[in-house]
Amino acid sequence: MKFFASTLAVATLSATLGTAALAEVTVKVAYDADPVSLDPHEQLSGGTLQLSHMVFDPLVRWTQDLQFEPRLAESWEQIDETTMRFKLRDGVTFHSGNALTAKDVDWTFDRLKQSPDFKGIFASFTDVEVVDDLTFDLKTSEPYPLVLHTATYIFPMDSAFYTGTTEDGKDKSELVKHGDSFASRNLSGTGPFTVTEREQGVKVVFDRFDGYWDTASEGNVDNIILTPIKEDPTRVAALLAGDVDFIAPVPPTDLKRVEEHDGTTLITMPGTRIITFQLNQDRVEAFKDARVRQAIDFAVNNAGIVDRIMRGFGTVGAQASPAGYLGHDPALAPRYDLEKAKALMAEAGYADGFTVTMMAPNNRYVNDDKIAQAVASMLSKINIKVDLQTMPKAQYWPKFDERAADMMMIGWHSDTEDSANFHQFLTHCPDAETGNGQYNSGNYCNPEADALMAQANAETDQAKRAELLSKLEGILYNEAAFIPLHWQNLAWGAREGVHAEKIVNALNFPYFGDLVVE
Amino acid sequence: MSSLSTNQPTPSRFSRLWNSNMGYSFRRNPVAIVSLAIFLIIAIASTLAPVLAPFDPYDPAQIDIMNSEYPPMWVDGADPQFFLGTDDQGRDLWSTILYGTRLSLLIGLCAVALQAFLGISIGLVAGYVGGRIDSLLMRLADIQLSFSTLMVAIIFLAVTQAMFGSETFNQYAIYFLIAVIGVAEWPQYARTVRATVLAEKKKEYIDSARVLGFGPIRIMVRHILPNSLSPIFVISTVQVANAIISEASLSFLGLGMPPSQPSLGSLISSGFDYIFSGSWWITAIPGVVLVVLVLVINLLGDWMRDVLNPKLYKG
Repeated sequence: MKFFASTLAVATLSATLGTAALAEVTVKVAYDADPVSLDPHEQLSGGTLQLSHMVFDPLVRWTQDLQFEPRLAESWEQIDETTMRFKLRDGVTFHSGNALTAKDVDWTFDRLKQSPDFKGIFASFTDVEVVDDLTFDLKTSEPYPLVLHTATYIFPMDSAFYTGTTEDGKDKSELVKHGDSFASRNLSGTGPFTVTEREQGVKVVFDRFDGYWDTASEGNVDNIILTPIKEDPTRVAALLAGDVDFIAPVPPTDLKRVEEHDGTTLITMPGTRIITFQLNQDRVEAFKDARVRQAIDFAVNNAGIVDRIMRGFGTVGAQASPAGYLGHDPALAPRYDLEKAKALMAEAGYADGFTVTMMAPNNRYVNDDKIAQAVASMLSKINIKVDLQTMPKAQYWPKFDERAADMMMIGWHSDTEDSANFHQFLTHCPDAETGNGQYNSGNYCNPEADALMAQANAETDQAKRAELLSKLEGILYNEAAFIPLHWQNLAWGAREGVHAEKIVNALNFPYFGDLVVE
Repeated sequence: MSSLSTNQPTPSRFSRLWNSNMGYSFRRNPVAIVSLAIFLIIAIASTLAPVLAPFDPYDPAQIDIMNSEYPPMWVDGADPQFFLGTDDQGRDLWSTILYGTRLSLLIGLCAVALQAFLGISIGLVAGYVGGRIDSLLMRLADIQLSFSTLMVAIIFLAVTQAMFGSETFNQYAIYFLIAVIGVAEWPQYARTVRATVLAEKKKEYIDSARVLGFGPIRIMVRHILPNSLSPIFVISTVQVANAIISEASLSFLGLGMPPSQPSLGSLISSGFDYIFSGSWWITAIPGVVLVVLVLVINLLGDWMRDVLNPKLYKG
């Protein structure tokens, strides 16, 4: 009630003052889902990273044209083959008022190394060594070509804030997946916004952080209200009606409406997120047979999915790496041949087919539930009967971690903008120790492919790396390690006057701190 | 004397009905005739769905994504194979509507049968026995009535879905729907039956039955119930329409029939994403079918209420 009253007061205030300087700028954002937790290390997902970019700051970040931009790290230099020295920006404070020091980076790095989801990304990194208050060395075990790429994922946390015990005796730094922890409910970062109110699944309210270090930023947004609207047409209707100022994603069926409507703008970008299905070999004996996996790949008409369900708003994929990535091999063509699929099934001794369970989210990827339904009916043509379940992502990820179905959908955007990351998370032999294969629900395991990845990650010569990585893609393609569908394109819709085109990027991490609203 | 009793054949059941007051009023009421005709067409067509439908929408092997979103015949760009067009997954809309209507009708009728069974039994007992049992049962009905049907159904279905997992749930969705819609609406029957029982049980024929030594169950079922049938008929028609709507709403909310086995509600829901973006027919056509179905049932119910109401009789 109090909140309602204050919103009302703000609304009346801005109404009476009009465009006067005192008026608060509030941007209402509607996503398909809200972040599942406030803990930036709990879940390696787009939602978490989008949140991280609002309430934390990375050491460096990608610009729209995929260059590195210094954020909390002011400068960096290579000291030797395995050490990169970073210099932190001076005068940066956390939301709690504590000053950012190299110790916080060290603390955050140690926490990242413990996170089941994030540790894989930091597998090649051994340590952060604090040199002085504002200087630290980031060390890798071997010469690693992707140090800065990975530094985009280091969002220093407030070590003092997250240290100690809560009233009920729990450690504040505790990292619990899908559970209740201090960090999943409380936040202190250096980012442009603080979270003032959060009700899971209903809304998150962000307030501009008064002491934000980046005073050069033109961003003028004081409040952001993030509301999850799961239904695509409702989300679009909310934007068109002016109820919200910014939406993502815009479903492919409504792109034209958003573009043609007066007062809204559509921003699109080719995406690099591959949508795949994984075939769980531990749950289904038949999936151990590469011929069965190939048969499934042959049975899935991914061009049809892109054409019909995605309305052409995506690129048909046959491998994980999109064009432009080092490992992309243009020779690998999408496979679709029903006869061949049936022949392969017969050859493997499964002409009569079998029954599998399938799970897919219904608010994570563009048209995810429709894609899953279409794949289910395509598989029935080679006598594989599919029991499909779709669910919201808040329920889906715990199920995914349990490996709860025989076929599970996952979309992956390379965290390092590099091919190796796809293999490391999606098809590497699962290893809880290193975090490799953390999202490999198929339990596909090929030591030869893993060796190629390790070799590529220690290779600094780009041409040689490209060769290794495309060889890796070739192996995965030939063995049908997973079923690639397409790279989904990105689309955002914004009200005119909200200059969202400047803050979005191919990574789908809008930098709201820099958002300018007229 | 005996010559007067001619050997007239006993009139058949149908002609008795046809010549009754109800039959007379039916023949005089064009709305009732049209409604019944439409209802019968829909009911028969949907019962014969496996024969009439050119495709089997429940067989995923017949679905091809490349056929998705073809418009109905009279719109440009249609495929003559698909008379009413196709949905977002490439299912033939005409076949899917036939199968979906069959499901909706089946769920509606079964749910009402369950409601009627529960409601009539409870209403008879409450009205006939009276006293504490009556108060207890009617307070239960009050409690039940104070929750809206949809709310009860949503909670129940969400809990069962979580408990059994959606795999089992999808398999038995139809039974869960019948159960929840059936259980949630019994007080409608119980209330009405109890009221008529209270009126009937004071009458002399009940007293004489009691004097003759009949047991309470026999009196309730054989004597009171047949005399309370007319309000039950009226409620039943309205309740069938309500149950169909409830089923459609629940399926629309994703708590009903799974998308692989669409009823009218889930079909409307699956087309909802496309309603503003061109493919209006996925939602509009099943929507029209649903509206027409519910409307004719309600009109029939209206007509029946008028006929069976002694106050309006011949009025």
